[in-house]
Amino acid sequence: MTALAVAGLSLRLGAFALDDVSFTLPANDVMVVLGSNGAGKSVLLETIAGFHRPARGRIAINERDVTTLPAEKRRVGFVVQNFGLFPHLTVAQNVALGARAQRRARAGSPPVDIAALLRRFGIADLADASPLVLSPGEKQRAALARAEASHPDLFLLDEPFAALDAPARSQLRVELARFLRELRLPALFVTHDYVDVAALGDHLALMHAGRIIQCGAVDDVFRRPVSRTAADILGFENRLVGRVVSHDRRLAQVAVEGKFLRIATESAVPAAGEVIVAIRAENVRLLRPDAAPTNAADNRLIGAVVALEPLGALTKVALDCGFRLIACLMSRDVAALGLVSGAAVAADIAAPDAHLVVP
Amino acid sequence: MIAVPRTWRGPKSVGSSLVVLAAWLCGGVLLTFILLPLIQLFAVQTTGTLLQVAREADVRDALMLSVTAAVLTALVAGLFGVPFAYFLARAEFIGKSAVAAVVDVPLTVPHTVAGIALLMVFGRHGVIGGPAEDFLGLRFWGTLAGIVVAMLFVSLPYTVNAARIAFEGVDPRLEMVARTLGMGPWRVLARITVPLAWRGIATGLTLTFARSISEFGAVVILVYYPMTAPVQIYEMFLRYGLEEASAAAALLLVISLALFILFRHVAYGRGPVVGGGR
Repeated sequence: MTALAVAGLSLRLGAFALDDVSFTLPANDVMVVLGSNGAGKSVLLETIAGFHRPARGRIAINERDVTTLPAEKRRVGFVVQNFGLFPHLTVAQNVALGARAQRRARAGSPPVDIAALLRRFGIADLADASPLVLSPGEKQRAALARAEASHPDLFLLDEPFAALDAPARSQLRVELARFLRELRLPALFVTHDYVDVAALGDHLALMHAGRIIQCGAVDDVFRRPVSRTAADILGFENRLVGRVVSHDRRLAQVAVEGKFLRIATESAVPAAGEVIVAIRAENVRLLRPDAAPTNAADNRLIGAVVALEPLGALTKVALDCGFRLIACLMSRDVAALGLVSGAAVAADIAAPDAHLVVP
Repeated sequence: MIAVPRTWRGPKSVGSSLVVLAAWLCGGVLLTFILLPLIQLFAVQTTGTLLQVAREADVRDALMLSVTAAVLTALVAGLFGVPFAYFLARAEFIGKSAVAAVVDVPLTVPHTVAGIALLMVFGRHGVIGGPAEDFLGLRFWGTLAGIVVAMLFVSLPYTVNAARIAFEGVDPRLEMVARTLGMGPWRVLARITVPLAWRGIATGLTLTFARSISEFGAVVILVYYPMTAPVQIYEMFLRYGLEEASAAAALLLVISLALFILFRHVAYGRGPVVGGGR
């Protein structure tokens, strides 16, 4: 059964647009829609929720065509940035509102035990509290409880963490993933932060300029970005322009600025023409220039440190090895390796960590 | 003493105290300017003259009429102005700033000018006044309806503007969430949007009421009789002089202020701070 099927969805809305968006979401799965700001992610979610009339295309939730239904009849649980709790109502009233409105819309549905629902989400003691005094984590639970009270067929989450600091984000991400699993509800989660993806999603759709440019299982999309833009959205720090020199079934040899990189090939490789090599900074292993080759030594590059950017526990290092290469390593290793500006350093890259992107 | 504020959010450094003092002195002049005439108005009254004026049927009728008309005006302003304010807060369209400017026009029209213009529309031979009397039997000239029309013209902007700002402060995403929970558009307005904007709406209605009860110029031209309190006071001033008029004036002031404070209390006693947080 498909939880959500979107086919050929197009619309224009001021500066935002959707351009022939199609994808399906299997029941009980979570799909993350990843894209930069202005890609049209929120417009997509709001269109599925029923707030914009598409110029073309169809939307089906649980195989029920909802394209022309008003938002209140689509049975979606909508969670927005800052969680959108009604500030003039208590937590319990917020949750009860979802339950009541749904009973009115669907005659004969059983009454919801609000107290039990609050207990299930661990916020029973906050029933009479104002949403204004809740922590972000409590707000998220209250928003999920409220949505759940309305018996949705599908959860839509529109960057609920966007306004939070990093520690809160990571805590809420874990909690959200747990709740979504427990509720066994399909969900579409929109974000611009690729860190959200692995913790939450089964499927990943990359969105750019109103189009879904790549869609698939999370691992597949992360391993095989289909374009430079896709690699960009996925947060690959290194996107090197090169040319395929030779290839067999297992490895391709790519020339980048006069250096040769060996890359594991997972799909067809073009015989000629420009390609892009996408490598995550954390997959570039830095060593002393005279270090013995590691098991990641499919590629060994020698370069000089150009710049260091300390990020707390991690440090980003920019190297010049004939081309610019970004590496990321534990900050405590920076001193051990004697990495200072201008220092020589070896960089090892395993063939499977480099991804061939055919633009 | 009172020249030293308990907290000062501006920069605190050497020399700042002079800025604070200067600002406070300017404010002191203003406060004196506002309060002195009002205090003086009461200082010259004796209980005897106040009671005597209050017992006069003309004065009582005029005060009653003023309060009734101002309350009606606020209700009409709410009925038409609040939905329009919601539209202005949510809709984007070409010429929106022009429409908003039209709403503000009454603030700049001299009130006697407004009265004359209204008389030409709502008078016996006016484009609305004529047909209204012929077909509906509704007369504006010399009636409560006319008073409400005059008051409405000069005080409507307060309701529209205050309500619009209040609606703009309600995050549209809260309305979206309410819709997805299964609430229809009207229910969302009644249960979410209006309660969240309530304080601003009530403030606007209170200002409209206050502006209406104090209106003289437009009312006196469109409707001389029956007399509202300001017209009655003007008439007393012309006929009997300052002393008698000032007693009625003090009475009107007490009633307007009391109602104003009451309405403000109602407005601020209910509803949370606007805005769902973005």
